Amino acid sequence: MIIQPFIRSLETGSVYALAALGIIIVWRTNLVMHFAQGSMGMFSATAVAFVLNRAGLPLWLSVLAGVGVAVLLGFAVDFSIIRRLKKATAVGKEIITLGLIMVFLGLAPIIFGTDPMQLPKFITSGDVQLGGASISYNALLNIIIGIVITLVLFYILQNTKIGLAVRATASSEITARLMGIPTRTVTLFSWATAGVLGMLAGVMIAPTVMVTPSFMNAVQVNALFACVLGGFQTFYGPVIGAYLIAICSNFLKLYVSSVWGEQLMYLIILAFLLFRPNGLVGKTYIKKV
Amino acid sequence: MENTRKEALRIEKLSIQFGGLKALDDLSFTVYENEIFGLIGPNGAGKTTVFNCITQFYKPDAGHVFFNASDARQRGHLKRRDLPADGEMVDLVGKPVHRIIRYGLVRTFQNVEVIPELSLIDNVLIGAHVDFNSTMFEQALRLPRARREEKKHRAQAVKAMEFLGIADIKDQLAGGQPYGILKKIEMTRTLMCEPRLIILDEPAAGLNNTETEELAKIIHMIRENYHCTILLVEHDMRLVMEVCDRICAISFGKFLATGTPAEIQKDKSVQEAYLGEQEDE
Amino acid sequence: MTATIKPQKAIQAVLKNAHVQFLVFGGLLLLLPVIAESGIMKMSTLETLGFVLIYSIVSIGMNLLLGYSGLVSLGTAGFMGLGAYLAAYTVENLSLSFWVAVFAAMVIPTAIGLAVGAISLRLRNIYLAIATLCISEILMKTFEQLDWFTGGTAGKQSQYPTIFGDKLDRGGVFVVIVVVLVLIMMLTHNIVNGQMGRALHAMRSSEVAAQAMGVNLVKYKLVAFALATAYAGLGGGLYLFFLKSSYPSTWSLMLSLNVIAMVVVGGLRSIFGTVAGAVIIWGVPELVLKKLPVIGSISGLPYIFSGILIIVVIMFFPRGLKGLFDIIVDRIRRLSKKKVSAVPGKSADTTEPTEPEVQP
Repeated sequence: MIIQPFIRSLETGSVYALAALGIIIVWRTNLVMHFAQGSMGMFSATAVAFVLNRAGLPLWLSVLAGVGVAVLLGFAVDFSIIRRLKKATAVGKEIITLGLIMVFLGLAPIIFGTDPMQLPKFITSGDVQLGGASISYNALLNIIIGIVITLVLFYILQNTKIGLAVRATASSEITARLMGIPTRTVTLFSWATAGVLGMLAGVMIAPTVMVTPSFMNAVQVNALFACVLGGFQTFYGPVIGAYLIAICSNFLKLYVSSVWGEQLMYLIILAFLLFRPNGLVGKTYIKKV
Repeated sequence: MENTRKEALRIEKLSIQFGGLKALDDLSFTVYENEIFGLIGPNGAGKTTVFNCITQFYKPDAGHVFFNASDARQRGHLKRRDLPADGEMVDLVGKPVHRIIRYGLVRTFQNVEVIPELSLIDNVLIGAHVDFNSTMFEQALRLPRARREEKKHRAQAVKAMEFLGIADIKDQLAGGQPYGILKKIEMTRTLMCEPRLIILDEPAAGLNNTETEELAKIIHMIRENYHCTILLVEHDMRLVMEVCDRICAISFGKFLATGTPAEIQKDKSVQEAYLGEQEDE
Repeated sequence: MTATIKPQKAIQAVLKNAHVQFLVFGGLLLLLPVIAESGIMKMSTLETLGFVLIYSIVSIGMNLLLGYSGLVSLGTAGFMGLGAYLAAYTVENLSLSFWVAVFAAMVIPTAIGLAVGAISLRLRNIYLAIATLCISEILMKTFEQLDWFTGGTAGKQSQYPTIFGDKLDRGGVFVVIVVVLVLIMMLTHNIVNGQMGRALHAMRSSEVAAQAMGVNLVKYKLVAFALATAYAGLGGGLYLFFLKSSYPSTWSLMLSLNVIAMVVVGGLRSIFGTVAGAVIIWGVPELVLKKLPVIGSISGLPYIFSGILIIVVIMFFPRGLKGLFDIIVDRIRRLSKKKVSAVPGKSADTTEPTEPEVQP
């Protein structure tokens, strides 16, 4: 009886992990807490649903269109706002992403209409039996997508030139720029990546809910908490945090309270911060005076 | 002779590491009361680290920072349970950063930390933060005690600003003021709490020659008028040699020598440490 | 000639006193119900303005947090909603008085806020935003699920309050809101211009310098957050008595974001600016945008309006409306000075005592 909820947790964990990866990439390269990750993902995912439902494109083509929308949004946000903010304070940048939430939440119904839409699963039917639990092919696919994309991103970060540039920018933007690393390209890349990851998270979770402007709220909150739980200092911490959160909340919902399970978990994480304020894999750092 | 003088600050075997790098290594020195004491060393010697360890911004891995807080009771800034036993030196290591000033130890910063949105006098008044006894409710309702305190400290701030010759511009905003003025504001701010020991982190950095000369006078004036001890880190050798009674030289976090300016200038180990650098000064 | 100028100067001096300004402002606001009753202004406009004033109270609290301390809370709407439901529960279910209701609406959210803040403010400022976001989600769920307390999605109904034995009507509650707003403005002015305000300034400007001056960071961050939460709870209580009902959907994240927008657009660290921000962010969409032809019926329009304003203000006018106002006043003053100095002899009497120039 454990396997079924565990697999389901891995599925939602993959969604949270992708969203959290977007947040952490933006955080590490821009030092901006990306509160609009969920709403930008919502916007692109709604675009996918719109293309699918109204233009009748097949799902894979719609998702491809969604990738385009997400990349363009990421570019637009970085190019027209974020890079012109060099003088703004950290709080100012945070508030900008809060402003972005309002813009995208307001824009989505205007552009795509106010009727809730539906997104189908990638694989509509069929399941495998595993230790007495039946797991749909689609759930397996979602888990695989989440893990594969995470691994590919880590490979890129660790083994390629652009990955090195991202890590250098993450450790010190100024030093990286002085060493000739095109930090502007890196931030552009990071916003676009965050956009695509958010969109994918949206497309993966959409079949279980309706596509409305608020359908990514829970993902946003969970992804932020995944970063808090995993710590903001590494790329892999938030991914671990995301899967842990998904597992915890699923089991709490199942065995403690179906209504309050998730809320209970937030409180547990807050309490956990008392003991490890830097998160699971966070290091303490020394502020230069 | 030195044995009969009262200690103001005694650093004992202070060590701190940053990721394997020993920034301070078993460093010890003593500062006596009413002395102007200089801490010198080549770049990267760990001078500012010493300051940060004294004021508890860094928690040293080992060692003690003993501070003479014999007047802590009279100052009335500490809760009873935090008061040191009579006649004893207090070890500052492990104390919260914001409590250090309550023992009578106050510092300035290398890059001046002044609030641009506030007027100069309000900036100075921040130095009197620990002198306020009125609660937030008294302040919100402007009850008599809050008003009295505000008035008293404002007058005190004006006096301190007059002392440094900046009282006539007290109501101007700090933002956009020249560097020299901001430095003076930081110095004035340290005077508000009637300090026992003032730590100056590179007070002459960014000042021109005339301003540096004025600074030397101010440092002496502060000691005479406020009867306090002054500990300073400085790159400008002329200033150090001019104002300091005694100097401690360190290099790579290790103690080199201590003595009067004349003794330090003659010291072989100090000369070696500075070799090649002295030309620039 | 000097005899005629002196009382003028005395009046000027009195008008420059912030407390006098707040009282005059309040006095002018009290005319609004009279105007509405005379039929010159619609009753619905008065209602919208009442909400503007309630949000002003809440966003003045947010300004203490955001403007003075540089902290972000995303739980404003949740705490406001909790205040509203607590007020309703106190009056309707417990049959207690208006005063108890307002007290409960302030104190209980503040206590919850303090607990959350005490955990999240220890390490990084941004943790407060994330923790309050989570608290607002929890509260939102509570509002929807806890039927005995909130009436669930069907909402909680209440009635106009009875104060000093008088059953108030809508205009009466408006008067109460004005009185509370003026009091809040005065108290906040005193707080930010005293020791505590300076400590908050020091903390935002440089945490290390503030600590060296003896400012206990966690304590002051907590106090600022507690005040913001108390103001939000108070605003929620007033909201309930003004609207006589409360629904879960009101207390969404969007409201919290709107409150931040009011502060940013109106002007960080300015009390009157915050009120102006509330007028722009709440008043303009309700009174102007929704009545526009064609685009007025679009539901997302107010959000886009606030969102774009936030971004534009942070990018180009970091001091908000207050900054714009200062620039305009400065221009006018300079123009009038030029005119005055064109008539020599008179200038000595009429120009204000100029501040000493900054020495370069």
